[in-house]
Amino acid sequence: MAVIEVRDIHKRYGETIAVDGVDFDVEQGEIFGVLGRNGAGKTTTVEIIEGLRTPDTGTVRVLGLDPVRDRRAVRTVLGVQLQEGTLPDKATAGELVRLYRSFYADGADPERLLGELGIDDKRDTFVDELSGGQLQRLSIALALVGRPRVAVLDELTSGLDPRARRDTWDLIEQVRAAGVTILLVTHFMDEAQRLCDRIAVFDRGRIAALDTPDGLVARTHATGATLDEAFLAVTDSDSLDDDGAEIGGIALDDVLGSAGTDGTDGQVRS
Amino acid sequence: MTGTETTSRGPGLRAWRALIAHEGRMVRRDTAGLVIPLGLPLLLLVMNGNGDSPPVPGLGGMSQQLAYVLPMVIVLTIATVGVINMPSFLATYRRYKILRRLAVTPARPAMVLVAQAVVGLAQAAAGIVLVVVVAALLFGLSAPADPLGLALALTLTTAAMFALGMLVAAVSPTPNAALAIGLVSFFAMMALGGGFGPRGNLPDGVAAVGEYLPFGAGLDTLMAAWTGGPLDITQLAALAGVTAVAAAVSARLFRWE
Repeated sequence: MAVIEVRDIHKRYGETIAVDGVDFDVEQGEIFGVLGRNGAGKTTTVEIIEGLRTPDTGTVRVLGLDPVRDRRAVRTVLGVQLQEGTLPDKATAGELVRLYRSFYADGADPERLLGELGIDDKRDTFVDELSGGQLQRLSIALALVGRPRVAVLDELTSGLDPRARRDTWDLIEQVRAAGVTILLVTHFMDEAQRLCDRIAVFDRGRIAALDTPDGLVARTHATGATLDEAFLAVTDSDSLDDDGAEIGGIALDDVLGSAGTDGTDGQVRS
Repeated sequence: MTGTETTSRGPGLRAWRALIAHEGRMVRRDTAGLVIPLGLPLLLLVMNGNGDSPPVPGLGGMSQQLAYVLPMVIVLTIATVGVINMPSFLATYRRYKILRRLAVTPARPAMVLVAQAVVGLAQAAAGIVLVVVVAALLFGLSAPADPLGLALALTLTTAAMFALGMLVAAVSPTPNAALAIGLVSFFAMMALGGGFGPRGNLPDGVAAVGEYLPFGAGLDTLMAAWTGGPLDITQLAALAGVTAVAAAVSARLFRWE
């Protein structure tokens, strides 16, 4: 059974079409990547899965539950890590993990979780004194403290140095190894390639391609193509079978250069 | 670690306790935010409590000056916590998406509002105890003549100020706006209500408005209850009315993100 089922969802804000017919399944135990530029519909789609927004049409099920109607039940099985800046400065890491633990009837032991994430020595450190990597570990701890069966991780490694990114990737693989299904939202090709079993490439509110990382690369028909090129090929040409890796005049920097600074679907937010 | 009950149960008492304790720590650690609600009323009391005025008749020696200043600093304490501090916290939580983060857990963001209000009440209570104790130690405070009336006036004043604070939090787009709107409402109510000098010095029409805004209504009814004068039922009704309207409008307008 699919852990997350998304069926033909649409969402518009006024004149702006944010999500225009998105359809996919996330299977038990996989790391499923949601890849795309700002404004491609990633964040809105994920917010609909989290129950923070209601689709105009279409349905979403998380372990068979409706995120809006079965709100409470979904909250107990779905762990969410939001983009940065969602924690109060003057709380310590340990206090926050214990606070979030109290929200769940069943969950992880806060002290052990901090240890597993390698931040047990930071338990008495205030949020505003944590480094980017430590903060990211804390936000992962908060997503996992209720022992979710599904975790949504959003822009997990934005703003981290290369070392901290790699450590975070290892961590995600450990989480998956513990049996948690993961929906990973990212701007970064290398991250998607390294971690994801399958990737949905979002473009203009739709899924332009859904495949394994290797499958996406193979679509470019170019030898030695990278996932970057595959991404550009599927988001810039109308036909996936378009011959060759059409990069369509958009420089790689245009796509990737702005990544990681903003991390929201800015203009489609109301 | 008690429960492994059904998964669809909402957050229980443990979550409420943890959240209230958490908000208490947040308020306590905001040291600058403690200065005004606890320090300003105390300062005003100490500077003005000892005026050279005759005692209130039949009240065991409490001066008329203190009978005005003490209720004034009590209302001041409640107003600074309710109308300035609390909305500022809530607007900050919204700005930094702390409310949104809670919305994706089994806890509801509305729990934060309740927890903040509980902590605000505790803070206001502490401030009131402080000024009452200091007034008793320094200025010969008499026991209130009408304790039940005092409890009623205190309850209604607190409800009105906290409801106004929720309204400020509901309509403020940013933390800065919350602070500005909170301060302006606070100073306006205080000036019109007699916090900067007797209402008798104000033009009649302005004074009449101030009499029914929470600061003036709270001040008058607290003073009346303490000294045994009659409580003005229309002022009590005004406090209840402000509470009802502000609570209803803020519940309708509150922006969670």
